[in-house]
Amino acid sequence: MASNNEPGMKLYVGIWIGLIAIMLVEVFLTYQHLAPRMLLVCLLALAFFEAGLGIAYFMHMKYESPHLLWSLVPITIFVLVLLDHIWPDAFRLARMSMR
Amino acid sequence: MNPSEGAVGAGHAAFAEASPFGIESKKLAMWLFIASDSVTFAVLLFGYSFLRVGSPDWTKPFEFLPSVLNGMVMTVILLTSSLTMLGGVMAAKAGNQKSCLRWMGYTMLLGTIFAILHLREWFGLIHEGWRLFQNPLGGSVEVGTGFFCITGLHLMHVISGVIALGVIALGYKRGRLTAGHVETTSLYWHFVDIVWMFVFPIMYLLNAK
Repeated sequence: MASNNEPGMKLYVGIWIGLIAIMLVEVFLTYQHLAPRMLLVCLLALAFFEAGLGIAYFMHMKYESPHLLWSLVPITIFVLVLLDHIWPDAFRLARMSMR
Repeated sequence: MNPSEGAVGAGHAAFAEASPFGIESKKLAMWLFIASDSVTFAVLLFGYSFLRVGSPDWTKPFEFLPSVLNGMVMTVILLTSSLTMLGGVMAAKAGNQKSCLRWMGYTMLLGTIFAILHLREWFGLIHEGWRLFQNPLGGSVEVGTGFFCITGLHLMHVISGVIALGVIALGYKRGRLTAGHVETTSLYWHFVDIVWMFVFPIMYLLNAK
């Protein structure tokens, strides 16, 4: 049912090399003595880019119907954003209970 | 003729509408599972990240050698297993059963090596005195709690994936399962790989000395 113009092994190997290169960049950044908050933001940005490549090519989302993408991804991202919105409050409560 | 008569007259065809998503039901079910499971991991990783950034007495337990290097090797192994899984799916779609089973065998082998390396890391930390609620370096105990919980959940997914691949490979070999089943299982395997793309930097790199 997916479209027939799926990529071959050559592209997959290219993505694989790209993902390993991003991992090496992450390790390089780790030893640049960035502030924890800054390092976290950089590592997360790279991890989301890696995940995007994996979902698009390894999981073939790029070659599926756009309906699937628009049904799953925005909802999942919305839930993650809500989590991020609520977590600071949970953290505040955890700190309050320690006192 | 009213609509209900039309449905009866059309038999099963009336219910066999094309999927609006253009994929088989089992594949859609796997995508829904992946979406929900990604939220499970996100909860843990978000919480851990907040604790990591917000705790002043956070301990960094990982030296480059052996822990970070071990994590890098594990990352390459898991990424390579995704590549071999793609080889299996391509072979299955081409109707080449023998090649598909060989690729799936490589994937299972790489998954097993990943799990062994992970357990070796765990036992090393336990040997140093790390526990779920114990920090041998004297800082926040949440370092060990987060590490063992999150990597443990991921390891459980890897081990489940290896078992699932074995079951699917066996069914495919016997002709009970199709290339569609192999492809659906590959989605799960790639998902496990993608989760590691977050676990490695957050659990290892943010805790590197």
